Parts: sequence; C-alpha cells; structure tokens
Amino acid sequence: MTTLNLGDIFSYQLIHATLRSSAPIVMAVVAAIISKHANVFNLAIEGIMLFAALISITVSAATGSWVLALLAAVAAGMLISLLIGLAHLKLSANILILGFSINAIAQGGTRLMMQEFFGTVGSYAPKEMAPFPRLNIAALDGHPVLSSIFSGYSLMEILSFVCILLLWVVLYKTKTGLRLRSVGLNETAARTAGVNTYRVKLGAIVVSGIFAAMAGAHLSMGYTNMFAEGMTSGRGFMANAAMNFGGGNPLNALLGCLVFGLSESLGARLQSYGFPNQFVLMMPYIVTVVILTFSMAGQQRTQRKEKLRELKKHREDLSGAPR
Amino acid sequence: MPKLPKVRGESLGTILSVVLAFAVGGLMILLMGYDPVEAYVELFKGAFVGKFSIGTTLEKFSPILLTGIGYAVCVQTKYFNLGMEGCLYMGAVAAAGIGLIPGLPAVVHIPLGLLGGILAGTVWGAIPGALRVKYNVNEACSTIMFNYTATLLTSFMVFNVWREVTAVSRTPIIEKSAQFTKILKPSRASTAIFLLVFVVAVMVWLVYKTNFGFKLRATGHNMFFSNYVGFDAKKTVFLTVCISGAIGGLAGAMETMGVFYCVWDNFSMGTAFDGMLASLIAKNDIRKLPFTAFVLAALRAGAQGLERVTNVPKALVTTLVPMIIILISVDGIRDLLGSLFQKKAPQEAQEGVQG
Repeated sequence: MTTLNLGDIFSYQLIHATLRSSAPIVMAVVAAIISKHANVFNLAIEGIMLFAALISITVSAATGSWVLALLAAVAAGMLISLLIGLAHLKLSANILILGFSINAIAQGGTRLMMQEFFGTVGSYAPKEMAPFPRLNIAALDGHPVLSSIFSGYSLMEILSFVCILLLWVVLYKTKTGLRLRSVGLNETAARTAGVNTYRVKLGAIVVSGIFAAMAGAHLSMGYTNMFAEGMTSGRGFMANAAMNFGGGNPLNALLGCLVFGLSESLGARLQSYGFPNQFVLMMPYIVTVVILTFSMAGQQRTQRKEKLRELKKHREDLSGAPR
Repeated sequence: MPKLPKVRGESLGTILSVVLAFAVGGLMILLMGYDPVEAYVELFKGAFVGKFSIGTTLEKFSPILLTGIGYAVCVQTKYFNLGMEGCLYMGAVAAAGIGLIPGLPAVVHIPLGLLGGILAGTVWGAIPGALRVKYNVNEACSTIMFNYTATLLTSFMVFNVWREVTAVSRTPIIEKSAQFTKILKPSRASTAIFLLVFVVAVMVWLVYKTNFGFKLRATGHNMFFSNYVGFDAKKTVFLTVCISGAIGGLAGAMETMGVFYCVWDNFSMGTAFDGMLASLIAKNDIRKLPFTAFVLAALRAGAQGLERVTNVPKALVTTLVPMIIILISVDGIRDLLGSLFQKKAPQEAQEGVQG
C-alpha cells in the first residue's frame, strides 16, 4: 500500500472524472423528474436503461452508426414506457409492481438476449461498434488543465447537462411545464382547471422513457464501450434519489448527481491505494443517503422558520385589528 | 373492518388472467424455439413432484413469505419499505457470525443465532425508518441504497473477513449446534420453516387484532387524523419499521442456519423483491400473503427444475416470471376478463371496491 497523497487524489483531473461519472445519472434524473411531476413514481428507469444499453450497442455493432443505435434505444424506451403508461393508467396496474417487474424482466431479458444472440455470458463487447463521438476542442490542446476540464467529453455527456438545464426552463418557464407540475401538485385541481391529466401523465411517462433510454445508451456507448450484465448498478434508483434530493427541481437534482459522480470517481482513486473494493463501491449509495438526509433536514428547518414567521405575522395582524 | 363488497367475476377473472399469463409465457417459449408444453410440465414437476421439489419450494417459500410480511406490515402505515433485502443480508451475516462461535449447546446456540439475526435486521431497517420519521427522508430511495450497501458489506465479510481457504465465495460452515435439521432431503428445506407458522400467527394477531395494529392501520389511512385523536403516528411508523426489519433479519438468519449453513456472496439475488411482489399481489393483506408467497416460491422452484431437466435457459424463466406477475397483478386485465363472460359489467360494485 502506497502512502496516501491527497494532491494526487484531488487533482484537476478529478473535475473531468466527476463530470463523466455523473453524466449517466444526470440523464436518468431528467427522466425521474419528468415522471415525478406527473405524479408517477417511475422505478422502471433502471430497467429501461439496461434494455437501452444492450439494444444500442447491438444496433451500433450491426450498422456501424451511433445515430441509428441511439434511435433504436429511444424507440425501445418509448415502447416500454408506453406499455407501462397504458398498464398503469388504463388498466390501473400498481406502478411499483410494474417498475420492479420491468427491472426484473430487463435483468433476465438482457441476459437471455446475450446468450441466445451473441452466445456470451456476463458481458458483450463487439469490436465493430461505433461509440458516441467525443468532442475535442482543438484550441485547448496546448493547455493540459483547461483541455482536461473542458475537452474530450462524449456527445451524450454534454447533451445530458444541456438536457437538465433545458428541463428547468421547460418546467418553470413554459405552459407545458406548468401543466405538468399542476398534475403533480394536485391532480383533481388540474382536472378541474381543464388539464387532460390522462394525456399529460401518459406523455410524461413516455418522455421519461426516452431520457432513460438515452441514459442507458450512453452507459454502453459512451461511458464504456461494452455491455455488462446489470451494468446500470442502481443508477436508475440513484436518479430517483437525486430527484428527491432536489424536491423535483432539476438544478438541485443536478447538484445531487455531481455529488454522486464525485464520490464515484473519488472511490475509484482510493481503490488504487488498497482501500477495500466493496467500500469503494458503497460510497455513492452512502453518500446518497447522507445528502438526502441533509437536504431534507434543511428543507424542514426553512419550513419551520416560515411557519413561525407566518404565525407571528398572524398574531400581529390580530392584535393590530381591534374587533 | 367493513366487509368489502364482492365483485362478481373476480375469481373467474383471476383464474383467466393466470391462464392468459401462462399462454403468453408459452408463446414466448415457443418463439425462442423450445417446447412450451414440456417446459410447463417440467415447471410443475420442479415445484411439486418428488421430495426434492417440494423441499425446494418450501425452501424458497420461507424468505419470500417473511420479506413479504415485512413489506406488507410497513405498507399499512404508508411506509414503502423496499429495504427487506438489506435486512435479510444483515440478518444472515449476524447469524453466521454467531453460528461460528464454537462450544455452545444447540438449545442456546439456535435461539442466540436467530436473535442476532433479528437484532441486525432491526437495526439495519430502523436507520431509514428513523431518517424518515425525523427528517422525512424518502424511504423508497434510502432503503434501496441500504440494500446495495448491505450486499456490499456482506461481500466484504465473505471475501475479506471470513475468507475460506477454498476458492468458493462463502463463509466457513457454521457450527453443528447452530444448524436446523434438514427435512425432505436432499433438498435444503429445514425444520426452520415451522417458525413461519408462529410468525404469521403473531403478525396476523398483531396487525388485525390488537390496539397497536389498529393504530398502525389508522396511521396508514390518515396520518393527520391519527395524530389528532392522539396516536403518535411517528412512533407507530417507527415501531412498525423496526418490526419489519426484525422479520427481515429473522428471514436472513433462517437462510443461514436452515438453508445454507453459511453465507454466500450475493446469495439472495432479489428474494426480498419476490416477497414484495407477493405482498403487492395479495393487496398487502397478511392473511392472504402465505398463498401468494407460495405461488411465487413454486414458480421459482419450478424454474430451477426446468433449468436442470430441459435446455430452456434459466434467463428465459427469470424473464417470464415477472411477466406472469404483471399479468396476474393487473386488476384491469382481471376485471376485463371477468366481465367478458358476464352479461353486464358490475360497474357499481367495482366503484365500491375502489372507494
């Protein structure tokens, strides 16, 4: 075991690593937030990601085109989430059963597909696949620090951060976003106000499926260049946690994702110092719970303060108005 | 509890949806190029025909039932405890730790091991529960994170702490005095399953017949009302979560002391989620849970038999089982199929159930 060198661990390269590890969760959190605002607790994100990861790499290897691969993954994600939406909304299926069953189907189904179609077990890494393009900024080539921080990202990594910022704009600045949020806040009130809640909910589930599929495609074609059994390893659930951490607000959720990414990339560095592997893998999960707790405790404190202030104001109003 | 109005055609619909589920599954098997009739016959044989098959079904039945009860009891208070898997692992590890202590008589060792498992499960389950009642941390998220953590902790114990000399990824075998006797050899079922009768009886009594059970169900129906009439809703939720954790820990201890006699890395592979599904299909009614848990256990045991005898890959079965679960559990399909064979759809009765 070599001595711990903090300078090596907390170097400027950590920024690049953090952004890279958080990108898949960022894309998944977009999916989680959209369905959350439609009052749907979408646990199937994990399963859709897993399916999309395998489908995209398969299509990519077969056609040599990452565009077609992405389209195939998105189509699959839409189809699965359409089925979930119809089963949940039309046939009143329990969303938790659906979510967990889809995840179980994804785990068994991807293993089955690998066995039946490629004759491999565990992982599938075709040589002829075309990954998502990496964007290098030529102007920064001479500068190691800046080029490490700003250059060399996969297309999906950039897109995921763009998507979550766009989501904030759509949610809080457009009519569509207002309608979506109104369904999540109070469905009956939204219906009374003339919002077609069925359509909004189904639409939200399907769109959420698209983003989940993109997150999955990125896992197998950008984050790594292979598919491995269960490679999502709880990222769909972490996205749901990050969504909760942000209370449905994309910007807060983004912060949560970055913390996961940081803990993951820090763990990877600590591993080379002989830190037990299991504890390294554990870090993102523990960090999730810790930041969830801190954020909720903070929210509670501000709520309590607000209530006190209101109460005080109420008392003053009462004493000020003689009756 | 007021009696629910009986929906006409409900049982017919349930039977038909099970038939539909198996038909869809058969079609899948056919499409993959295997013989569906042979597959289903072997599935049935693997679950019920012969000592080994029945024993395997019973072996799977125990953790599915217990984790199902753990989920069901929490859901009554609107606490979505997805963390039974973690409690199961922690209970199993604790029981293994105690089981390795040499020189204890069985009369002391077995209760001690079970108690250790229960304690570990309770503590592990209580942490997310405490975070929820104190800081309102969403339990569905935190418990899933705790599951991953528990799985990794188990893996750490197996590989780094109790490393066996052999290459297999498991702890050493626990002492004879901590082992339950096997029944239905050569299957792995043991006398530990008789504990299930006791647990189910106690839980049914606790939830449906006692003061605490009433508070628990009232809290689930309306937390504000419960607080208003003077039940401490938070305390009730927390106690319920602890009970559920204890049951999860017991399930784990029974796996170690009854089934495996050691702890394998990743031994559970989502058993607790089968328990949760069993509970969801039973509409979280602990009195119906033994039946649904048994059906799921039979499916799992049958799947093992199927894999052993035919060349149908296990992955196909693991894919089919959740599909069958979806089709069975969707009320809409059941009602639709039930009403197909009736002159008039029982519209009013259905609304009565939903309300």
